[in-house]
Amino acid sequence: MSASTTTHEAQDGHGPTAGHVTPAHLIGSMGVDSRKLGVWAFIGSEALFFAALITIYLIMAPVNMARADHQDPKEFLGIAFTSLLAAILLASSLTMVLALAANKRGDKRQFRIWHLATVALGFSFLGGQVYEFNKLLHEGVTLSSSLFGSSFFVLTGFHGTHVAIGAIWLLSTYFKVTKYPDSPENAMDIELAGLYWHFVDLVWVAIFTLIYLI
Amino acid sequence: MEVTQAHDTHAHEEGEHSPRFYWTVGAVLAAITIAEVLITLIHIPHQILVPILLVMSVIKGAGVVMFFMHLRGDRPPYQFMFLIPFSLAVTFILFFLLLFSEHVGIAG
Repeated sequence: MSASTTTHEAQDGHGPTAGHVTPAHLIGSMGVDSRKLGVWAFIGSEALFFAALITIYLIMAPVNMARADHQDPKEFLGIAFTSLLAAILLASSLTMVLALAANKRGDKRQFRIWHLATVALGFSFLGGQVYEFNKLLHEGVTLSSSLFGSSFFVLTGFHGTHVAIGAIWLLSTYFKVTKYPDSPENAMDIELAGLYWHFVDLVWVAIFTLIYLI
Repeated sequence: MEVTQAHDTHAHEEGEHSPRFYWTVGAVLAAITIAEVLITLIHIPHQILVPILLVMSVIKGAGVVMFFMHLRGDRPPYQFMFLIPFSLAVTFILFFLLLFSEHVGIAG
């Protein structure tokens, strides 16, 4: 791969890593960074995955209510606490993009602050979700108690798992960037972890509205 | 390993935003979230409430994708790689809801 190919990527590139150093062997046939293209493809497949889970929940909601053993979501799901979780995840998306911008500016102190804040907010969200699950279990809502319980726990449980994976990914990126501060791939590493993190937030935007508010 | 440092003013102008911009986007998204919650406390007919909440949710999602994920202004292969499966996912949800909305018995 010639250097001119790499320059092409850099000159046409947009986004926060438009000016980052791209190893030539990572430029694919489409002239873009294959790592970033791969993460976008992964996120696209994840969108389909969550669409399936959301569809199942929405289809099962009226079926659940029609059954004798139904559990009414409105009796169990509290909007106030979930709004707090939504605010936490939204704030984490903001801190993530601020960390990315700080790294781009070369402001390592700001990067550390915002990146670790993102991780902390991610774990706070997980703590909140564990609390909510525990509360529901004590109220008798389990995976097998009703169609609501099954579809709710599968959907929100998978989302929580994604948050956990995202938080670990962010943490490992932080240690990598801290250990190798001069690596030319740091900007892309941070952006890829950030893309995944924002997607997790995006899914919660949908879940919050479709499951909790409507 | 062969590497090249980029120096692109155009990309710098279109792809990057100041922290103030991100704070503004964050504030708008937070305001929409608060409005979403408040609107559920008002007694509005379900037929009106649901479209309002869906529109607000779409605006929030678009804000995250365009400005936080920087898909707006990014290169077409990245945009296609996300937008095609995402459009498919939305279509998938809508078609299945349409299919089952009046036929609870099929799903049950």
